[in-house]
Amino acid sequence: MGVSEEEYVNFQKAWFQELRHAGYAVPHWPREWGGGLTVGQQMVLYQELAAHDAPRLTLAFVAIHHAASTLLAAGTDEQRRRHLPAILDGEIWCQGFSEPEAGSDLASLRTSARRKGDVYVVNGQKLWASGANHADWCLLLARTDPDAPKRHGISYFLMDMHAPGVDVRPIRQATGQSHFCEMFLTDVIIPASQLVGRENAGWQIAQTTLGAERGMVMLELAERLGNAGFKWLLQACVRPTPDGERPIDDSLVADRLAGFETEITALRFLCRRLVERNDEGRGGPADASVVKLYYSELLQRMMGFGADVSGLAAHAELEKPLSSGWESGAWVLDFIGSWEWTIPAGTSEIQRNIIGERGLGLPREPGVQ
Amino acid sequence: MTSDLASVHDELRTVARDVLGAVRTRTAGSVPAPVEWSVLAELGWLGLEVPEHCAGAGASLGEVAVILQEMGRAATSSSYLGSVVLGVGALNLLGAARERDELLHGIATGGLRVAVVVPTAQAEVASAETPFRVESSGGRFRLDGQASFVPDAIDADRFLVLARDQSGDVVMVVLGRATPGLSVSEQPLLDATRRFGQLRADAVEGAQSALLRFEADPATSVQHLADRGALAIACDSLGLAEAMMEATAAYARVRYQFGRPIGSFQAVKHACADMLVQIEVSRELVGAAIDAMVRNDPDLGIAVSMAKAHVTGAAVGIVGKAMQLHGGIGYTWESGIHTYLKRALLNRSLFGSPRAHRKRLARRYLSVGTNEIAGSRALS
Repeated sequence: MGVSEEEYVNFQKAWFQELRHAGYAVPHWPREWGGGLTVGQQMVLYQELAAHDAPRLTLAFVAIHHAASTLLAAGTDEQRRRHLPAILDGEIWCQGFSEPEAGSDLASLRTSARRKGDVYVVNGQKLWASGANHADWCLLLARTDPDAPKRHGISYFLMDMHAPGVDVRPIRQATGQSHFCEMFLTDVIIPASQLVGRENAGWQIAQTTLGAERGMVMLELAERLGNAGFKWLLQACVRPTPDGERPIDDSLVADRLAGFETEITALRFLCRRLVERNDEGRGGPADASVVKLYYSELLQRMMGFGADVSGLAAHAELEKPLSSGWESGAWVLDFIGSWEWTIPAGTSEIQRNIIGERGLGLPREPGVQ
Repeated sequence: MTSDLASVHDELRTVARDVLGAVRTRTAGSVPAPVEWSVLAELGWLGLEVPEHCAGAGASLGEVAVILQEMGRAATSSSYLGSVVLGVGALNLLGAARERDELLHGIATGGLRVAVVVPTAQAEVASAETPFRVESSGGRFRLDGQASFVPDAIDADRFLVLARDQSGDVVMVVLGRATPGLSVSEQPLLDATRRFGQLRADAVEGAQSALLRFEADPATSVQHLADRGALAIACDSLGLAEAMMEATAAYARVRYQFGRPIGSFQAVKHACADMLVQIEVSRELVGAAIDAMVRNDPDLGIAVSMAKAHVTGAAVGIVGKAMQLHGGIGYTWESGIHTYLKRALLNRSLFGSPRAHRKRLARRYLSVGTNEIAGSRALS
């Protein structure tokens, strides 16, 4: 074990404050809330952070991206005033979207929120809530109208994770770590003032805010893959193996490496282009899916290659550094961890559906509402 | 790119798509008729990169690339590769000379077509064997050698032959079609949209004035020309891949099986989605290489190799998938998809295979540990 969970949380909070005081924690937020860097400036910032392999803000991720974009797009003034400054002070958020029976088919979620006077009473089970064991607040989707067509009966809530009836249990994942949690919600009371947008309009809000920050996040990840990621892969290829030979001297290895460098280069350009396009209001309907899919699968192929060329030694790397990027040089774990990209937030299969339907106008499958 | 330039490109693209698409439509399925040379001249596409004092537009490869992409999209048959990509490209690398300006003028105004005899099978040509030798004495030269896979040799009025002289430098020898000792024959290829030839020079003689020299280092100049060829081909592959993706998506929307459009099946939809992703990625690599070429970036060879390796490989995959998703009709001669597949396959082999270009990229890794990888910052 590298460091304890507590040390990880403390480090993440301290690093967030350090970036905040430098003005770099929430550069994408509007100026009046503490951000205000231009898209161009943000690109430079993320490229620099990536070039120096600076720790990523993993703990605050949902708070500064999803929570903030939801509040800014659909929250009330009161909700914004209550939470945006608190996020800057270290409030941690998680997302309560998926359920055991609502994964790719998210709209079939069953967690119910019943209105009683000026509160909602919530019951149900949520799954794959990243960081829920550290979270103060949760972005929750729950069904408020069980009789409406499934996308039209869902509402969006801000849920206090410290409220009675919220029970969080970490799920141990394939890498041995526990980024994800399941959440059991039993008669949890949410004041009606914590409803975001209109009742039963939650699906729309979730759709518009889900991809909102994806461009810049993907740009940062692409820069990391191009800097630290490729550099480490190259180092793994020039390091002599036990037989005294260097993988790079094998023309097949050199060929694969050149292919990866080419693909990363393309990914970085693509991310920059999409951020610019989005900033100019010319974003394409499948842009976010194209980048998510391509990044995920490239990451997986690269990490698989790293695990292959680094041989037995990589199997003795039992921990990857916390706060690291998805690529850390612990190749076997990095490879196993890459499914954390191809599965969540819309599996690669779902992304391909979106690209086919929104990008190329192909018809939906019959029966899919 | 400035927005002014972007709108110039948009306009050029619209016109090119109309003109070339119309030619394509007239010849769908069968061996395509070449687009008329006089049309290309009237539209000003032949002289885009020709200096203004030689009747050209003084524009850049950025504009030529738009045309190239559209020619790929329409699987256009023309001598554009020989005369414009390689011809004008090679002439622009020479020092100023009256002969050079006359040739450029001739190309720009449509009166003259040229073929450049430059290695078309390799990624790296600077250190390659040059198949032609030229010896000078007493104001005369003598040229010997032979070459295959010379683009657009059949329709050329002049040949610009790259040959090595006595001192070991590569020079350009300009030959007329009827030069004694020069023989040119057609070299039929599976791709019927392009015309290649074989050229042989047996003791060809001429006046020293037909021997032109590169302005910069000859080896660098020849490599630059080969990179230009490779990039032009990558543009072509991008265009043809786009056409195949669009055709396939359109077909998948209207072709019904099992009572529903085949595009609603995930197996088909996902294959189409992969085409779109590959095209988005390819477009970035091609765009970056064009920018590097226009800026004359010292690392342009890296950007070109990335584009050539990835895009021409991806295009073969996309056209192959297009044929598959069209089902039986896709395999027919009539559907015309074979035309695109053959062109994509030829593109992949021309000016160096993807493997050869990746080998060029990988050479930079061997010095790792002591130096930064050349070009990796320049591209970032």
